[in-house]
Amino acid sequence: MRTIKIFLTLFMAAAGAVSAAAAVPWDEDRPEFKFFQEKGHYDEEAWDKLPAEEQDNALKTVKEAALERQAAVRKDYAAASRKWDAQQARYYADALNNRELKAVYLWVGSAEGHELAHKATVVRSMLDKAAAEGIKDSDAQALAPYLTPEAITQLRSMKFAADLAQKQKAGIKAKGPGSQSTAKLDKFAAGAASKMDAGKLSNLYTGSKASGDAAVELSAGALKAGGKLPGSAAPNATAAKTVKYIPPAALDEANKAKSTALTSDAYGVTLETTEGTKTFRKTADADAAIKKLPPGSVKKITFYGHGSPGMQMVGEGSYDSGSAAELLKGKMAKGGVIQFAGCNTASIGGATLNPAVGISMVARRLLYFSLPYFQDRADGVPAAQAKEQWEKGWNADLAQETSMGVKGAIVCGYRTFGLVPGRLPGVTALLGNQEATTPGYVAGKKACYQDGKEVPVP
Amino acid sequence: MTDLYYILETILLVAAPFVPVAAGVILRRKFPAAAEGAPPPTPGQKAGRLVGNLLLWCGIAGLLFIVIVVLNFKGKI
Repeated sequence: MRTIKIFLTLFMAAAGAVSAAAAVPWDEDRPEFKFFQEKGHYDEEAWDKLPAEEQDNALKTVKEAALERQAAVRKDYAAASRKWDAQQARYYADALNNRELKAVYLWVGSAEGHELAHKATVVRSMLDKAAAEGIKDSDAQALAPYLTPEAITQLRSMKFAADLAQKQKAGIKAKGPGSQSTAKLDKFAAGAASKMDAGKLSNLYTGSKASGDAAVELSAGALKAGGKLPGSAAPNATAAKTVKYIPPAALDEANKAKSTALTSDAYGVTLETTEGTKTFRKTADADAAIKKLPPGSVKKITFYGHGSPGMQMVGEGSYDSGSAAELLKGKMAKGGVIQFAGCNTASIGGATLNPAVGISMVARRLLYFSLPYFQDRADGVPAAQAKEQWEKGWNADLAQETSMGVKGAIVCGYRTFGLVPGRLPGVTALLGNQEATTPGYVAGKKACYQDGKEVPVP
Repeated sequence: MTDLYYILETILLVAAPFVPVAAGVILRRKFPAAAEGAPPPTPGQKAGRLVGNLLLWCGIAGLLFIVIVVLNFKGKI
């Protein structure tokens, strides 16, 4: 027995000695080898030529630094792979150069590196496009996986801001956004800002049309005794003998809140709470109002505007499942309803015999898959990557995803394009609802979810 | 291969809304309206023309719907 023990001990010691002296094969998965590659210390060929002892020393020397580097790159990647806000988008668009991307390829993985490179390319091109010509709904949809809704909103308003700055620089009177009602605001603009002086500003309030620019001629005759200065009243008379209140003319009932615009500019947020109903045109106002509400007070909220798979726009603002859930978490009353009144805010669902729903499905596939897929291919994006991205996005279900974030609430969206008669060109002018904040009747297939499961439409 | 598959899919999807229009036109030609002096159409011919009319006009309505959808997508309405 003792002999066997001695033999085993000697055998183990010999085996250990052999393994210590054995050459270490090149292993690209080990952090030390990634470190060698990044720093250019060794490649596989040079490594194989190293004596085993030197290999061992080299591995021991870089082990700690390699682990630190790996942790740092992975941390940076985790930050960069989240949705970017506007500031981060600009930062990463500049900062993600080839060197940075190579590090991601090496330390995190080639798929992750490829995805990040694509993200940077898309965001970079959209930043340029936003500044040059503005971005469209399809562009916003392409950016949805990469940027926060707030950042997309900012990009959408970049062109308007740039144009405004350029016009102000050129001395052209600034115009409001192109809706009929805002166009009327231009009437208050009294020339370029630089020409506005205190006199003109006061005229805005007094209603006087005298510009004060005309030269006053002081002829000898005019200054005779008892004579009047041109345009002045009798010296001792008050400016007005009686001050008469003239009430403003009543608005023609038919013209109240009416617009003659041919196309619709209708969007808004309608909030039904225990205290009543409020509507908002600006998402910022709606968000602020919702944040002030006590928990469990929202009975129904309707987001109305253009929709696309995974995203609901409300004018210049937009919501995805994350931002909507964050905004409404805890605010919904029991059985409260969140309604996304925008096209394609739910997935297409199962097969149908309804031809209109079928046409809508065809149109959705063409507009939100085929079109962006071929655009990406034309831009040189690999087929597999373009396929993965758009196959994932074209049938996104905003309502279902939001319902998983706002537990207990019923979240509804449209499986189809929603046809709102009041939005049709011409009809909107007839109805005078160009800036309506609620959709009224919507011809579309609705789907509702509660905690991610489909429920009947309430 | 992926591109080819998607090109074929796109062609089929684009063609789909035109199928009822084409079918409607074919049926209307096959079962024309009765001319003066001609024998009255049989119930089968009447049904054929009715189906042709339905397909044609529903198809046209479908195409108009797609135009509206595209305008909506472009943010025009």
